[in-house]
Amino acid sequence: MTATVVVAGIGNDFRHDDGAGPAVARLVAASTRAVDIGPIGEPLDLLGRWEAASLAVLVDATRSGAPAGTVRLVDLAGSERAPSPSTHAIGLDRVVRLAQVLERAPDRVVVVGIEGEDFSDGTGLSPAVEDAIPRAARAIADLIAAET
Amino acid sequence: MTPSGDNANRTIDVHGLARVEGEGSLHVAIRDGVLERVELEIFEPPRFFEAFLVGRGHEEPPDITARICGICPVAYQMSACAAIEDACGVVVPEVIGKLRRLLYCGEWIQSHALHIYLLHAPDFFGCRDAVELAGLNPAAVERGLRIKKVGNHLMEAVGGRAIHPVNVRLGGFYRAPSREEITALIEPLKKAREESLETIQFVAGFDFPDIEPDYRFVALSHPDHYAIEAGRVVSSDGIDATPAEFAAISVEEHVARSSALHARLRGQDPYLTGPLARYALNQAKLPAAAREAAAAAGLGPVCRNPFKSVIVRAVELFFACDEALRLATEYEPFEPAAVPVPPRARIGAGATEAPRGMLLQRYELDADGTIRSARIMPPTSQNQLSIESDVRQVVESGLDLSDAELTARCELAVRNHDPCISCAAHFLDVSIDRS
Repeated sequence: MTATVVVAGIGNDFRHDDGAGPAVARLVAASTRAVDIGPIGEPLDLLGRWEAASLAVLVDATRSGAPAGTVRLVDLAGSERAPSPSTHAIGLDRVVRLAQVLERAPDRVVVVGIEGEDFSDGTGLSPAVEDAIPRAARAIADLIAAET
Repeated sequence: MTPSGDNANRTIDVHGLARVEGEGSLHVAIRDGVLERVELEIFEPPRFFEAFLVGRGHEEPPDITARICGICPVAYQMSACAAIEDACGVVVPEVIGKLRRLLYCGEWIQSHALHIYLLHAPDFFGCRDAVELAGLNPAAVERGLRIKKVGNHLMEAVGGRAIHPVNVRLGGFYRAPSREEITALIEPLKKAREESLETIQFVAGFDFPDIEPDYRFVALSHPDHYAIEAGRVVSSDGIDATPAEFAAISVEEHVARSSALHARLRGQDPYLTGPLARYALNQAKLPAAAREAAAAAGLGPVCRNPFKSVIVRAVELFFACDEALRLATEYEPFEPAAVPVPPRARIGAGATEAPRGMLLQRYELDADGTIRSARIMPPTSQNQLSIESDVRQVVESGLDLSDAELTARCELAVRNHDPCISCAAHFLDVSIDRS
């Protein structure tokens, strides 16, 4: 039986490059067997949507100072990170740990980041980010292929 | 443990980290076995919002102020609408008021469930956080998550999305939900109502430190129901005022050691808003089932033990589920979804009950609706002096505790009142200086 894979794009299509995550998630859902479980309002929303998955891929724009369009994959499974300082909501790392303790976590959670450069109001991605969308989608397709 | 030469002189510093609504740290100094000082420092971004709002149009505050807080955006939206509609002399039709109350119940449900199960309960089990509690008592955490999810669904159905709802506008809503959208909530709300009763029983069994500060309670009060989205401001010492009148007597002062403002009544008296205040002043307005559940959990008509605020919050969680169920069952779609709110050159104030306390906003408008001045009084600044006073009592009654135990109890004393600060308190670096 083929393992279930879910993908969620995090971001706002109306804030230019912040829409990179949803753009990649749409492409991945259209071109692979991954099921799009977005949009995600807060990390706790993932509980109840990803339990059946062997692999969950969360795609988000990043703002780290790297060149725009840089694609990075971070494997969260088994990682023990310092708690996030922003705790109005429970952060993704804590949700992954909480889901693991409650036995409601996918086997593997991968965060895919696409470095953005323009987060102002408006639609459309900047050229470097637009170029990164198919690259990120291919990287995710490779992860999915390895799951079977 | 008894006081020793080692702990007769000590300083407990709890350094904070940035949060959405506040940055907090706690300093406790003990000299010769006597409490010298307690200082809770909070830095509140809402001050910047007040400046952002000047020069904006009178229809913008519901969306702009919602961004102050990710956990109670509806409170900011509802208080903004109430204040500007007051300035413009508009009273919305009852159907709009009921839909606002239904949306607000969704925020109470998700916020209270989050605070009770994921932020507050871990303390009572000696757990570092909700993840540790989930290992110890997975059924309880799962129950909290299920209840919270129903609150989120309700906010999505009425507000368009669970965080920073987009369907609220001055004068009402952009669209009234369909009958089917609201009917779909009824069964989940019935289940959440049942599970919130179990929540009351769950938290009533916790072990509570025994302090009972002499609070001055302030809350909204409404003649017909437990006040959430509207009412007059009343207090345990006899205040009965409109939000505008209350804004005039609650004076916020700047304290040199902190960028936060401290609110005092008439410039003198600290006061407390939030679940304990609402319950003390409005307990008789709760539905009979909620009053019975409160009594079964050992609550009298007034609860002054801040640690037991978790029980009061659970009673309010049950009430919010019960009230949402009633409103959802009675709901019929309506047109128009909003009424016009033409601007006029006036001052208006509005207050509503955010999950953790009364939130008051006041605006001065030009004739064309341009905002000339804005004032936002979040519960955090109103409660700050009472929280410091709680910590003082906790320290004075616990001088024989070890540094670790005393620090944990101080953090819990803060967490009793404000999830924003309490969230961060889980991540505080604690340094203890034994002089």
